[in-house]
Amino acid sequence: MSAVQDGGVPGPPVALKERAARLFQEHLFAVRGRTDRLFAGLMLGQWAVGILIAVAGPSRGGNVLAALVVGTLLSACPVAMARWRPGAPLTRHVVAVCQALWSSLLIFLTDGRVETHFHIFGSLAFLALYRDPWVLLTASVTTTVDHVLRGTIGAQSFYGGPPPELWRFVEHAFWVAFIDVVLVYSCRGMLRELREVAVRRAELELAREREQAKARELDHALRELSGFQEHLIRVEKLAAVGQLAASVGHELRNPLAAVRNSHAYLSRKLTKDPAGAVDDPRVPQFLGLMERELNACAKIISDLLDFARERPPALQPCPLRPLVDEAIGVVPPRDGVRVINGVPESLPVPNLDKEQFRQVLVNLVQNAVEAMPVGRNGEVAVMAEGGESMPWRIRVVDDGAGIPADVLPKIFEPLFTTKTRGTGLGLAIVANMVQRHGGTISVSSEAERGSEFLIVLPAAAAAQAA
Amino acid sequence: MMEDVAVAPARILLVDDEESLRITLAANLELEGHTVLEAANGEEALRLLEQQPVDVVLTDIRMPGLHGVELLRRIKQERPDMPVVLMTAFTAEELVDDALAEGAFTVLPKPFDVTHALDTVLRAARAPQVLVVDDTEQVARGMVRALSTVGLRARAVYSGEEALASLRSGEYDVCVLDLVMPEMSGPELVSKVRAANLSVAIIAVSGHVVPEMLRRVAAQGAVVCMTKPVPLRELVQAIARVRGRPQQGLQGARI
Repeated sequence: MSAVQDGGVPGPPVALKERAARLFQEHLFAVRGRTDRLFAGLMLGQWAVGILIAVAGPSRGGNVLAALVVGTLLSACPVAMARWRPGAPLTRHVVAVCQALWSSLLIFLTDGRVETHFHIFGSLAFLALYRDPWVLLTASVTTTVDHVLRGTIGAQSFYGGPPPELWRFVEHAFWVAFIDVVLVYSCRGMLRELREVAVRRAELELAREREQAKARELDHALRELSGFQEHLIRVEKLAAVGQLAASVGHELRNPLAAVRNSHAYLSRKLTKDPAGAVDDPRVPQFLGLMERELNACAKIISDLLDFARERPPALQPCPLRPLVDEAIGVVPPRDGVRVINGVPESLPVPNLDKEQFRQVLVNLVQNAVEAMPVGRNGEVAVMAEGGESMPWRIRVVDDGAGIPADVLPKIFEPLFTTKTRGTGLGLAIVANMVQRHGGTISVSSEAERGSEFLIVLPAAAAAQAA
Repeated sequence: MMEDVAVAPARILLVDDEESLRITLAANLELEGHTVLEAANGEEALRLLEQQPVDVVLTDIRMPGLHGVELLRRIKQERPDMPVVLMTAFTAEELVDDALAEGAFTVLPKPFDVTHALDTVLRAARAPQVLVVDDTEQVARGMVRALSTVGLRARAVYSGEEALASLRSGEYDVCVLDLVMPEMSGPELVSKVRAANLSVAIIAVSGHVVPEMLRRVAAQGAVVCMTKPVPLRELVQAIARVRGRPQQGLQGARI
């Protein structure tokens, strides 16, 4: 066993045995303590009965005094032991001796009535409650010694006549031995049962403890997992922020470099040749270029802010047709590309966040315009239908080159772009804003035939204005 | 005397697909009196190189079609002496390391200070040499030969005195210096170069670790320290990198 403990992991059978033994001892200790207390009560009862018999019984004279002195002694010892040392081995052996002597005292007080001898058997049966064969032995030895002494010294008071023949003494002894055997047998049976019960309880307890340990482990693992998940999300967020910063940084560098170059040229020109600057065609050209590139920078930054800002939409009644007009007006026109507002005048007024939805329309229309192959005429149309308890369906349709099938699933992902200049945020912003309106956006496309972006807003979310 | 060299007009081939960047940089170069040829991509640049005389090429790295580093390789095949300065908006570009190792004069990160860019391009146009200083003649000559394989012009000298005389000529912008030499030691030479206000970047090389000497040269600033044996690729990259740094001596004199 020590080897197992040295190994650090005590085997389950050892743990079970130890625990069963402990439970058995605990149970037995409780039973014996209880029995001690029962005997304490019995002792007091016997004391009272003893005095009663001494006073009213057949014997007279010094009997009363003897009963009082001996009885008090025989009762006080076990009562004190049961009070101060319940469950201790010494207590029950003291109880056994005193109980056997009580039998003797009662027999003496009744002048050796045969019926009073039954008190011995009753006592032995009672002592069997201790489930301890040795206690029965102590009581039996005490009784035997008592019989032998009294049988030879005071036979009158013991057998109710002259000292008996040997066979009568042997018969007495036989019956005591017989009941002892029966009681020892039953004691051992009870102990065996107690042990079995203890083993079963130990098994149960161990199983429960294992379950609890498992539950705790599971709990711990779950907590760890959720912590790890949070960590992962943070890491992913950081990675996304890093990616975003890199993408935006690169996007900003080119326009900034151009602005820097223009500024350097203008300031040098003005320092070196202020008179010539008036006629230099590069001065207005570069001023225009600076404005254009700075606008590009501003656009990139505002895209980024739109993407980063999680503003919930402020819904208010917002007629769609004028909003589409506004959006089309913002998109830089391109030669050969016509943009049509196909939203009917009669369309019911939906509830929208005007700013956000204009941004959605601008991004979609601008993408459509830019998707048109160079040197070919094309058409971009914005259509809408729905309202009156029907979901709203807003479509942006172009007849451009279409979107390749391998690109299509990725177009709403942030930082995905096919343009040479672009942060890859436009459609991600669109998808985000549509979602915040409670709607969905989808795209279908056919090579060389064009693409169609479809926004569906639920009738409830963008409820018709009263 | 250096001022004259610096303002001598150069013919610069500028290659960038970003139009607004190209025309504004070209305008700045022209304002300084240089002739600028513009190309929107690598192919066009190669065509222009065949047709017209060019002193220095200034090209973006990331371009559709023939990218900047590929252009550098093509140019180096035909004309190993042609100085090529690269520009890039991407700091962590794998191509940058290759470009530095394959004989680019240097790489300018965008957006750059126009004055610094002009200064760098003009220094490149002068096609300065690398001075190798080592008392072991074999080592010095071997290094010069190795540098010439990637199109870097270099000369070997074998003592501190010789080195100082050569550096005063203004033909060198980088000095690869062995620290442990008899007579004038490396650190002594460095302090003399600094005292003379010569615009030379110094790459200190030592055979074994001499921390005391390294500390002494490092304390004099603008020194790169490397331990022998120095792989050629790393040496070439180090030379290109120091050439991209602002040159205090020259700049201070000019502005």
